[in-house]
Amino acid sequence: MDYVIQTIISALSFGSFYALGALGIGLLFSVLRLINFAHGDFITVGGFALIVPSSAVVATMAIGSFHPALLLVCIVAIVVLLALVSYFLVFQHVQNASPATMMIVSFALGYTLQNVIVMIYGGRPKAVNIFPELTGQVQLSDGVSVQILQLVIIAVTWVLLIALVLFLRRTQVGIQMRAAAEDFRMARMLGVNGKNVIALAFILSGGLAGIMTLLFVTQTGVLTFRMGVPIMLFFFIATVIGGMGSLVGAVVGGYSVGIVSVVLSAILPEELRGFRDACVFILVIIVLLARPQGLVLTKAAKERV
Amino acid sequence: MLLDVDNITVHYGRLAALRGISVTVEEGEIVCVVGPNGAGKSTTLLAISGVLHPTDGAVTFDGKNIAGMSPEAVARAGISQVPEGRHVFTTLNVEENLRIGTRMRKDRAEIEKDYKRVLELFPVLAERRRQPAGKLSGGEQQMLVIGRALLTSPRIMTIDEPSLGLAPNLVDRVYEVLLELRRNRGLTLLIVEQSSERALKAADRLYVLRSGEIQLEGKAADLQDGKRVRQAYFGFEEGVTHEGEVDF
Repeated sequence: MDYVIQTIISALSFGSFYALGALGIGLLFSVLRLINFAHGDFITVGGFALIVPSSAVVATMAIGSFHPALLLVCIVAIVVLLALVSYFLVFQHVQNASPATMMIVSFALGYTLQNVIVMIYGGRPKAVNIFPELTGQVQLSDGVSVQILQLVIIAVTWVLLIALVLFLRRTQVGIQMRAAAEDFRMARMLGVNGKNVIALAFILSGGLAGIMTLLFVTQTGVLTFRMGVPIMLFFFIATVIGGMGSLVGAVVGGYSVGIVSVVLSAILPEELRGFRDACVFILVIIVLLARPQGLVLTKAAKERV
Repeated sequence: MLLDVDNITVHYGRLAALRGISVTVEEGEIVCVVGPNGAGKSTTLLAISGVLHPTDGAVTFDGKNIAGMSPEAVARAGISQVPEGRHVFTTLNVEENLRIGTRMRKDRAEIEKDYKRVLELFPVLAERRRQPAGKLSGGEQQMLVIGRALLTSPRIMTIDEPSLGLAPNLVDRVYEVLLELRRNRGLTLLIVEQSSERALKAADRLYVLRSGEIQLEGKAADLQDGKRVRQAYFGFEEGVTHEGEVDF
């Protein structure tokens, strides 16, 4: 029983993390038809922003040594800025190109960011330690103890989800964004400023990436220049499974992928555990064969088929 | 002259969809552009609204050149387009749909009055204010997009095929509303229509567009017998070819 509760919490925390990532991808896709493969690298850049730029083996904390609240604001601001700059410098110039072209551009941006990091910080992994108090365990009941960070990830995700839903449903700007996501051209013909909506999507997506940076680095305690790549793959899969262009789908997809991976590592026999990701991907293929448009169907997806 | 489309050419890739067409609309006028499928009618409206940019020619609105401006800038200038296929935001509710175009208006005080007037004009929308627009019937959606365009407080409204996919009695109702708006508010209208019969009934002036060129233009009053319009529309003499009736 204790093991089950621990597994459930672990699954929810993984799922939450992937859901946040998939939301970051989905927000941009819904207004721009861009699958931003640099999203994972935005997270990486946020991580390296914690330390003093140098190729020294031992990392010296810069922003990482700030007061937690200030640290949070600084890192989120930096990643938001990065997302905005990448819109105005890069994606804006290809926004009328095909989705495939935009996706390739995002790969190029991602590799560029990775190589800039290698140039400044060197290619070796660096240990960092932020929010050490979160990596401790908390006793839920007799025999059941979980990592505080896992609970934090779940809580942060739900706060952000509720905030995002309120923003999209209750504010004028949020409603404009939903309109633009459904029918970009019509929204513009009603005076909705297309550029502003896209810029806002980059801000929100970057903000999510910034927060995820902190969660992720707290968890791993290591910075590597490629650390955004494998998680980006899972975000992408979560977005596709959930249904491209649907934010609900992104959340559903994120939780599905997270929960399935954790459950698989809990139930797979010892000798198969190394193949957990392969098993996840096989399930992904099966889901997509059964529902090519993803689990949650949107009007935008319907139109493209 | 409120709107002056002067000799514009529009390309889709290398293909010319419009070859030097000119359309003018005076303040308070109802102008119809009719023509068969693929004539370039929708392209004309999209070129006016800034979705497509003419490769040649000029579009002047109220003395200002608007060719090359973005769709949102054109909308802010006072041209409201109701495009083909209705385009309601299905996940937004009826009220959100109606109000989305009011964000760009500067006359804040007038918005609530206009909103009430639109609901009076379309009582069915008032009843279903909180429902997602995707749940409305085709006719109701057409009312919604017209109401939504009205709420932007446009100087001119362009409508692409208001009768598309609607039952004949609903089409009558749509045209009734449009004529009423002109009568009561002096709304200027540029309507694209496939049915020249409808156009002859509603319009002050008429353009017949075929193969990306204007074939005929004139006052509706002068074209009422329909013969010249039909000829321009189809591009051949009546009774010369094709068996059976062509429905138009």
